Amino acid sequence: MMHIALVGNPNTGKTSLFNQLTGTYEYVGNWSGVTVEKKVGVLRNKQAKVIDLPGVYSLHPLSRDERVVTQFLLTESFDEILNIVDASQLERNLLLTVQLLEFGKPLAIALNMVDVAEGRGIFIDQTKLATMLRVPVVPVIARTGKGCDQVEHLLLEKATEQTEPLALFYGGTMERAIERFRAAWGTEEKFPVRWLAIQFYEGNSYVRDYVAEKLPEATWRSLYEQAEKEVQQAEQMPPAQFIYERRRSFVKEIIEQSVQRKEIERVTLTDRIDAVVTNKYVGIPIFLLAMYVLFQLTFDWLGAPLSDLLDAFFAGPLTNVVTAMLETIGASEFIRALIVDGIIAGVGGVLVFVPQIFILFFFISFLEDSGYMARVALVMDRLMEAVGLNGKAFIPLIIGFGCNVPGVMAARTIEQPRERLVTMLLTPLMSCSARLPVYALFVGAFFATHQALVVLSLYVLGVLLALILAKLFSLTILKEEASVFVVELPPYRMPQWQALWRSTWDKGKGFVKKAGTFIFGGSVAIWLLSYVGPHGVNVNMDDSFLAMIGGVLAPFLAPLGFGTWQAGAALLTGFLAKEVVVSTMNIIYHVPDVESLQGLMASHFTPLSAFSFMVFVLLYVPCLATVATIYKETRSRKWTMFSIGYALVLAYIVSFVIYQVGSLFGF
Amino acid sequence: MVAMTQLRVGERAKIVDLSRVSDLVKRRLLDMGVTEGAEICLKCTMPLGGPFMIENCGQCVGIRRNEAMNIQVKPL
Ligand SMILES: Nc1nc2c(ncn2[C@@H]2O[C@H](COP(=O)(O)OP(=O)(O)OP(=O)(O)O)[C@@H](O)[C@H]2O)c(=O)[nH]1
Ligand SMILES: [Mg+2]
Repeated sequence: MMHIALVGNPNTGKTSLFNQLTGTYEYVGNWSGVTVEKKVGVLRNKQAKVIDLPGVYSLHPLSRDERVVTQFLLTESFDEILNIVDASQLERNLLLTVQLLEFGKPLAIALNMVDVAEGRGIFIDQTKLATMLRVPVVPVIARTGKGCDQVEHLLLEKATEQTEPLALFYGGTMERAIERFRAAWGTEEKFPVRWLAIQFYEGNSYVRDYVAEKLPEATWRSLYEQAEKEVQQAEQMPPAQFIYERRRSFVKEIIEQSVQRKEIERVTLTDRIDAVVTNKYVGIPIFLLAMYVLFQLTFDWLGAPLSDLLDAFFAGPLTNVVTAMLETIGASEFIRALIVDGIIAGVGGVLVFVPQIFILFFFISFLEDSGYMARVALVMDRLMEAVGLNGKAFIPLIIGFGCNVPGVMAARTIEQPRERLVTMLLTPLMSCSARLPVYALFVGAFFATHQALVVLSLYVLGVLLALILAKLFSLTILKEEASVFVVELPPYRMPQWQALWRSTWDKGKGFVKKAGTFIFGGSVAIWLLSYVGPHGVNVNMDDSFLAMIGGVLAPFLAPLGFGTWQAGAALLTGFLAKEVVVSTMNIIYHVPDVESLQGLMASHFTPLSAFSFMVFVLLYVPCLATVATIYKETRSRKWTMFSIGYALVLAYIVSFVIYQVGSLFGF
Repeated sequence: MVAMTQLRVGERAKIVDLSRVSDLVKRRLLDMGVTEGAEICLKCTMPLGGPFMIENCGQCVGIRRNEAMNIQVKPL
């Protein structure tokens, strides 16, 4: 099957087009660096595979996500490139196109965002552009799907054509350097030699490593140094800059001939929003206010009533119907207990929170798709600089409020390896949606009058600790490199309802899926462990295996205020996924609904120990999926262990202090 | 010729010299089309020595103050 790679600048709509072409959903958002890894899909007519890649400005990678693209082009086999070009930013987009044309694979251009370009008074003559670049050009609007059919046709026809790599003339000095490279390189034909030479002189680190494998060090070094000296002498600039300038003048020429500009002098909507949102004085307050509203909607104004309705449904009608059904089919007591006390209590106890979690994801999707995310990076940079990170690290942290796994992945766009590592290590401190059921359970039981405030304090605690630790890590174990910050701020776009819903569902479905798999399995296992003990089945729960296992931990937890086997068992299972803590509690306390559970828990916890428990759940070890992602991203067992270890220590210390100090003050 | 930090918010200027900017930031600026000779507009600055937001051809970029200090511009 044919393989087509989507390559283009960041935030030009590659993934939007990918979704249109394949009829699937991958992560779309309005900032640079949404896609951070390769994704493969199949065209709707099943005739070709399409590969979505992260956005890049050039083939010379700076950050981890950009490396993915260079690595893909150099090491994987594919038949054709579909270059997505943002019509409203033609110049910098075509700089990449030139490099791709030099690479010599069959290429077609999808000219995206023509609607945005026209709004700015930019009209592109696509036939002219196509003749000048000698490749087909199709205007599209990936957001609505306009023109996507033509792209599909073109892709399937195009594959048979053979293209010559573009041979842009770089001037005498540079051309001589390219010839020297060609002579030294010999006849290896995997990539066009000319392309390799240019990328090599441009300082592409990936290509240099590739060249260094084939050529002796002395050879490639002298090639490079000679070119550097000669170009500097002849042009008064380093080769990389000279190559850049040459490409730019080529691109300018093309634009001159194929683009018409109508002067539309007006203040754009983006300008007007930015005048407020990134205002010197109200920018930060607006961000805090936005976070507060998001939070209140999720927990208080909208989410809580919906969850209560669902809880009432599970506890009442659903349990009754299931019990009645089991009776009519004459199920044994064991089966009845397993289903009603195990599965409905365990899985239902978590599913109750679906409305709140979807509301949270909806607002995160809104932040992502509107273009505000990059502004957050800008607004928060000063604070992040103070703790040794940069504003871009705030994006993974906010995504982490939804789920820590994509948060850790999002750190790939941070250029500086040290800052990226610290961000990955700290993202698990963000209170993800899976921890929300635990809070809801406890605040309902112990802090009925100040529910939202108490939960908010946990979120803030997570962020504060992350900032403090960032400072600590940057001062101690990770102090070599200086921090840098450059962020691209895209124009605001009004998110479309359909896209928002797709994105919310895509994030939220993981939670529902987990309820059906992990939590279902976990509930059955926990129920069985609580049903069986060393002295037989259907034992008193205090004599069950679960009590034994939890009991081992209890003494260690006593100084934190919750030294019961129940807490120990719940925390142990919570490592799988933090929601399982709630499932376990539901099963252990053996009650039909959240309300009666809360009543019962009052005898095992005090408000203080309940708060201490919530803090512990917030901080202690990232969940299994997050740990796996940290390992995948750092490829280091040491840092993965560290992420677990420091979290455990931190959780223990903070909970200890809260409980002991709180006790002193008589809470 | 002045440093970019001397511009007032809303003022337009032409970039004259980028050579003192750190390599990584310079690469990113070039990627986004902010080069010597490009016309920019200072959109806003963040308080307490926070970052600067500049616009070039409809594209906005945020950079730190200490980098902006190393960019020489000519007000228009
Ligand atoms: N107005 C308009 N917006 C578009 C168009 N295509 C995409 N968008 C929007 O542009 C933004 C970026 O889209 P993505 O598909 O995530 O872009 P990407 O190229 O995959 O971005 P990265 O993965 O970050 O490189 C989203 O907010 C889209 O809704 C278009 O043709 N017109
Ligand atoms: Mg993408």
